[in-house]
Amino acid sequence: MQVRKGDVKRILAACAVLGLIGIAATAFLAGWERFWANWIIWFLFLLTMGLGCLFIVALEHVVGAKWSKPLRRVPERLSSLALLMGPAALLALLSLQSLYPWTRSESLENPLIAGKAAWLNVPFFSLRAVICACLWAIAYRVLVTGSLKQDSNQDPRFNLRARRFAPLFMIIFGITITVVAFDWISSLEPLWYSDILGVYVFAGTFLAGLAATTLALLYLKSRGRLKEVGPDHMYNLGGFLFAFTVFWSYIGFAQYLLMWYANMPEEVFWYKVRLEGGWGLLLLALAVLHFLVPFFILIPRDAKSNPRFLFWTAAVMLLAHWLDLYWMIFPVLGRGPAFSWPEFSFGLLFIAGGLIWIRHVMNRGQDMPVGDPLLAQGLEFRL
Amino acid sequence: MSKPAAFSVVGMFDSAQLLMDAIPEIRAKTQARVEAYTPYPVEGIGKLLGLRKSPIGGMVLVMGVIGALAALSLQLWTSGIDYPQMTAGKPFFSWEAFIPVMFELTVLFATFTAGLGMLLLLNRLPMFRHPMLHSKSMPLITRDKFALAVESAGSELDVESISRLLQESGAKTVEVVDAPAPLGFPTLTFITGAFAAIVVCCVAAGLLTYWGMKLFPVSIPMVHMLDQPRLNPQHASTFFKDGFGMRMPVPETVTRGSIPYTVRSQEYAGDLANPLPRTDSVLNQGRQAFTNYCAVCHGVLGDGIPALTAAYGAKPANLVSRQMIDLPDGKLFHVIVAGKNTMPSYGADLSQAEGWAAVHYVRVLQRALNAKDEDVASVQGK
Repeated sequence: MQVRKGDVKRILAACAVLGLIGIAATAFLAGWERFWANWIIWFLFLLTMGLGCLFIVALEHVVGAKWSKPLRRVPERLSSLALLMGPAALLALLSLQSLYPWTRSESLENPLIAGKAAWLNVPFFSLRAVICACLWAIAYRVLVTGSLKQDSNQDPRFNLRARRFAPLFMIIFGITITVVAFDWISSLEPLWYSDILGVYVFAGTFLAGLAATTLALLYLKSRGRLKEVGPDHMYNLGGFLFAFTVFWSYIGFAQYLLMWYANMPEEVFWYKVRLEGGWGLLLLALAVLHFLVPFFILIPRDAKSNPRFLFWTAAVMLLAHWLDLYWMIFPVLGRGPAFSWPEFSFGLLFIAGGLIWIRHVMNRGQDMPVGDPLLAQGLEFRL
Repeated sequence: MSKPAAFSVVGMFDSAQLLMDAIPEIRAKTQARVEAYTPYPVEGIGKLLGLRKSPIGGMVLVMGVIGALAALSLQLWTSGIDYPQMTAGKPFFSWEAFIPVMFELTVLFATFTAGLGMLLLLNRLPMFRHPMLHSKSMPLITRDKFALAVESAGSELDVESISRLLQESGAKTVEVVDAPAPLGFPTLTFITGAFAAIVVCCVAAGLLTYWGMKLFPVSIPMVHMLDQPRLNPQHASTFFKDGFGMRMPVPETVTRGSIPYTVRSQEYAGDLANPLPRTDSVLNQGRQAFTNYCAVCHGVLGDGIPALTAAYGAKPANLVSRQMIDLPDGKLFHVIVAGKNTMPSYGADLSQAEGWAAVHYVRVLQRALNAKDEDVASVQGK
């Protein structure tokens, strides 16, 4: 059966509406706590995907990479997801009272939480969320809007501007992604602390950005667009995926190993909850899907440029990234892993909504940064 | 000496395209090895030359896995089976603690395989002089010419026909490169000289370091393990408030695996019964304890006249005397644990089981020195 273009749009819209009804029902039938836990998982999922893409764009400008010029438009377009999630983050501020224990006055009786009150209080938390969203919007404007403008005015000064701004963005990105990790994930259990969590979330963010870029690129290529992006360009993406899946595992295991060794009650309780019963199995699945499968699939040289292998690795990676967030956030509800109709509706809404948005931005303007004077060199890139 | 055989016949081309066009022709008409030399990497030339995929990836994978398994088995064996030691209350088989070493050994094996495998196996190093480097073609190749070499690779080359072949397929000039003369290089003098130089360098560096540190003591390395801050047994120390280097046991606690000995005086110890059976292993354990701790004063036969006594000045008890034979096991045991007169307590050195085993062994000595006829008969019967 041939699916026409209008049909896909209608199916996605129907899914989104169904998801919307589902999440409304979640709030009333399953409780606000479950609603907000799902909301935070899904908004972080799309946010990190967008931020990861913004990071890929900035990375090209920082190191002066030429190979990625022909495919830069893909992460540029996907990075608008980070902008889209700005309002979602503001909405998520409503979750503070129901999900974050430090907002309750009785928790301040604990001296450890009271000591963190200067950082963990609702006004400052909200201010940080707003500032982060503004910083990302500025970065998007400089790096992505500027690049889109260059298509028509062919102004080479954009390259210089981006090259000056991108290193600054690296610092901003490092700080804001740590704030995201500490605020939205770590402070769900305010007694727990892990210095490395910011790096861990960064590793997942970058991988999510890479996986989304790879998937979108392969899809566009299958539709006959971006034909000039050859196996050598794909090989580099595959190499990045391969390297950073190891990086993610390295950081994740480093965090676990130190806490396991020290075995201090204020640290290990976080893992104790997440290693027992279904959560332990989920962690095992995470190790397999986030590390073992992509690692061993991508070891051979040819696999890194093979569209089939890349597609499945990237898809598994995105699934694993979602599982990662789910495994970190959902246990605060004090229950085992559950994937029932509330989780399904949230998935429906956010995936369908995300896809509608991505389809929208993917069809705007040029597929390649045609105004970039270095594009020709990027097209000639061979390993 | 005869004229050295040809190493290769080199044809020079003006452009990469001409070179690429010639490769399939030449390869079709000769069995010899064909090699290309170009001033910059030419795309797709590897395929034309029929270069096979490098086996280095597979080698690295295999050696990496071997490295990981080696690290795993090393740690499983040492810390789990051969010398199990409790660390921070973790189980002996703690896979978490093994991961860092496994990671390091995987990387070590993999990188060494990659580096050495590439250099020694695949690049055929060490090769001190490649004949091409001394050819007339080389200076041109590093400038703007492209060369195709038909190499002998061990077998004799038909120089005439190959030269013609190269010229037919478009080579401007053809050069015959001679095989290298045998090296006079790693001779015995060279090797001994090199070793001597290394030894001289090591000695000189050692002396230089030694005198340098002695004359200019800027930073003194820790030479002796004695020169370090630490607590010595039986010595005063300012580290703890009470001024002792050693600690008392924590009050109202019991050391793991030991039973406290609560009998206060030898008078009451007579009622204690020896809990151990008189088996070979117990008697062997008793002999071990007796030889290590008791024999130095009481003598190997327990008769109280060892060589040390004269120097020491005291008179150790004769353990095989009538009085000792009549002494109950418990009272002997009490002296071992609590000490008596000048004899110190051995409660900290011997476990209670070892103490009781030593008592059994003392009984053996007593019986042996007062043996009856039937004892002799029973031993002879064996």
